[in-house]
Amino acid sequence: MFGGYIITVAVTIGIYIILAMSLNIITGYAGQISLGHAAFWGIGAYCSALLSTRLGLPFWIGLPMTIAITALTGSLLAIPCLRVREDFLAITTIGINFVVQAVFLYVPFFGGAMGIGGIRSPFSTSSFFWITLIFVLVCIVLDRWLVTSWIGLALESIREDETAAAISGIDVVRFKVAAFAIGSGLTGLAGHLYAHFMTFISADDFGFPQSIVILSMIVFGGIGTLRGAILGAIILGVAPEIFRPVLDYRTLIYGGLLIFMMRFQPGGILGDQSVLPKLFRMVRQRSPALVRSG
Amino acid sequence: MIWQQFANGLAIGSVYALIALGLTMVYGVLRILHIAHAGVYALGAYVGLLVFRFIPNFWLALAITMVASSFAGIILQRYLYAPLLALPRIVPLIASIGLFIAMEEIFRLIAGPYILAFPADPGLGGIEWGIVRITNNQFLVFLVTVSLLATLWFVMSKTKLGLAMKATSQDLEIASVMGINTERIIATNFLIGSALAGAAGVLVGVYFNSVYPTMGSIPAYKALAIIVLGGLGSIPGTVLGGLLIGLGETLLLGLINIPFPRDALAFIIMIIILMFRPYGLLGKE
Amino acid sequence: MAFLEVRCLTKEFYGLRALDRVDFSVEERKILGIIGPNGAGKTTLFNIISGILRPTAGEIQFQGARINHLKPHQIAMAGIARTFQIVRPFGNFTVLKNVLVGFGHRFYPGLFSSAYRFEKETHLERAREILARVGMETYQGSIAKNLPLGLKKHLEIARALALDPSLLLLDEPMAGLQYEEFEKLAGLIRGLREEGITIVLIEHNMQVVMDLCERIVVLDHGVKIAEGSPEEVRTDPQVIEAYIGQEETVA
Ligand SMILES: Nc1ncnc2c1ncn2[C@@H]1O[C@H](COP(=O)(O)OP(=O)(O)O)[C@@H](O)[C@H]1O
Ligand SMILES: [Mg+2]
Repeated sequence: MFGGYIITVAVTIGIYIILAMSLNIITGYAGQISLGHAAFWGIGAYCSALLSTRLGLPFWIGLPMTIAITALTGSLLAIPCLRVREDFLAITTIGINFVVQAVFLYVPFFGGAMGIGGIRSPFSTSSFFWITLIFVLVCIVLDRWLVTSWIGLALESIREDETAAAISGIDVVRFKVAAFAIGSGLTGLAGHLYAHFMTFISADDFGFPQSIVILSMIVFGGIGTLRGAILGAIILGVAPEIFRPVLDYRTLIYGGLLIFMMRFQPGGILGDQSVLPKLFRMVRQRSPALVRSG
Repeated sequence: MIWQQFANGLAIGSVYALIALGLTMVYGVLRILHIAHAGVYALGAYVGLLVFRFIPNFWLALAITMVASSFAGIILQRYLYAPLLALPRIVPLIASIGLFIAMEEIFRLIAGPYILAFPADPGLGGIEWGIVRITNNQFLVFLVTVSLLATLWFVMSKTKLGLAMKATSQDLEIASVMGINTERIIATNFLIGSALAGAAGVLVGVYFNSVYPTMGSIPAYKALAIIVLGGLGSIPGTVLGGLLIGLGETLLLGLINIPFPRDALAFIIMIIILMFRPYGLLGKE
Repeated sequence: MAFLEVRCLTKEFYGLRALDRVDFSVEERKILGIIGPNGAGKTTLFNIISGILRPTAGEIQFQGARINHLKPHQIAMAGIARTFQIVRPFGNFTVLKNVLVGFGHRFYPGLFSSAYRFEKETHLERAREILARVGMETYQGSIAKNLPLGLKKHLEIARALALDPSLLLLDEPMAGLQYEEFEKLAGLIRGLREEGITIVLIEHNMQVVMDLCERIVVLDHGVKIAEGSPEEVRTDPQVIEAYIGQEETVA
């Protein structure tokens, strides 16, 4: 239906959207800054690759197992994160990213510098597109359910004020772990899709710079909002393709874009307090929503 | 053998401390993670090399670099961070990362992606001391870091400026109520921190005889591990953290020869220590 | 057995004694006042009762059970709610959503029940009732951080009431309020007591404390220096001594 190039870009963006949504749960909703999200993604991808190449598990059986294992590992890695707050947390997550990547790179079980290849995908490229699209939609539904549930309310109140949340009856530790578990479960999905789409993965794909890219997506789009996560993933996912003709300046433009956005639209393109959504609200002349703010 | 490793580790560690100090000073007054600090460090290396190519005198290059990088620091503070301080912490963090990425790219576009040599000889000579040989370059690193740290210590503990800086990092609002010009103190923190980073850039450039666009990448993140270890904002903690990481890396990798990347090691040490002291070695709640 | 009993409570911060062997108890359905100069340790006392800080020594019993080893959320679920002297509402939430958070303690613990929608009509209804109690029904859609201080203070009380507490700790609820609002808030506090809520009130305004409280505990430098009826406390020489030089003179 589309050219192979377009499909590849589209699938990549679909995977980025899932990653951005999952980080948005941890950082946007629960307020736990994670600068090591690519580590969780890598855990998902490696888990999926190993299940596929070593155990020969088919796609649909590997999928729930990958999600479960990644969610579990994510909540385990959240334990060191529970001891620390704010900037200590941010840097601890960078640390986790470097350590996880080093394990992939240096432990022979994970294929070392060669990575893992020969992952078999049962689908053609274009059916992979449709599958990714369906998963993105499923994640959107999941996200909408989450923000309207008591879990979502608990996560957001922890983001607003941990102490105030605790004296309102919220078990902060439990919900932080829940945020990391749900978020990394979704990165497990993203890792599974990525491994099967690329059919070859290596530790380089999941480094700290990738974490920054994912974080930039949600900040760029408007942190704490689903629409922001999706739009951010699309824009920053497409940008490298658009700027391909000026390859030499691509990274510079990317860095400049981040500075420019933070300086002039720090809430992101679609953040609740940003210009576009305000205009939109004005045009719609909608009375302010009573419960949710945006 | 162990003493030789010790000397190597100490040299690396003191450079780490030098880089991380600026980061800690900025964190102390503004509570932002100034990732682009490592960009200032790389900038220092390039400026130093540029000066050195015109006038091949190491000490002159060092001095001019420190002046230039402190300018760079003040400009960053004034035009990048100042407008972002009231916003959520993630905003200046992302801006800083964006700036760091952009700086690396600018170095690459201007100076090329190659490793440039920095063959400066400050004319100090090395020291042979039993089986330990402190090389010419190691001696240089020790000499410069120790004098810079001593100067910093003097300024921080013996002068009025240092007192004001301490008060400001403890509580900005109270300090400004007490009549301290906190604007100037913040600028001073950037000035000193960036000058130290620039000096570190020159030292590392000479020590490894190489200057390249991404030379700031590893220090950028390792310095974070170090300041966290030290307790975010604590100057003695940072020096301790820098030496600890430098020694830890060199000794562990040099003696036990574990097959693990040097750069992840800093973070492992950091995470383990944080589990026992969630506010770092010398940090307070 | 008293409703809330604090025994020999001590709290040290880096060697500084913020609370020094403090004892007192509160009877059910009574209002206990806690007064004392700034830095006396009043807020620290609340922080310990609500589980935010751990005591260095001493014990707290609530309805006959020891609670000082519990976590803040467990204490909240046991029926102790509080407000903060320096207000901390959930800033980016609407007023209504701030109140809803407090209903969750029935849903948060269960894996499945916490997956239910929180915007059910019954919950909204109840939240609006609570807001009406504190006179904020017209602000339910406002973003909390944009409210003036007086309303934020009322919102804190509404959020505490959402827990359906049996013990309410109010940390200087009048501070920063307009004089005209005092009487209304005092009326609200009395009304809550009528409904069966036991209240511990930290307050600097002596008029208010004397009017509202059956008993008063006076803290100074972490030590309880007096306890008794408003009349007894007012005339206690030690209390007068402690307040000399303070701007809040005994009215
Ligand atoms: N978290 C804390 N860390 C260190 N010292 C504290 C802390 N909380 C309170 N203090 C100290 O304890 C003393 C009592 O403070 P506080 O309970 O706030 O007094 P009050 O509420 O009666 O004005 C003060 O000297 C204060 O500086
Ligand atoms: Mg107080």
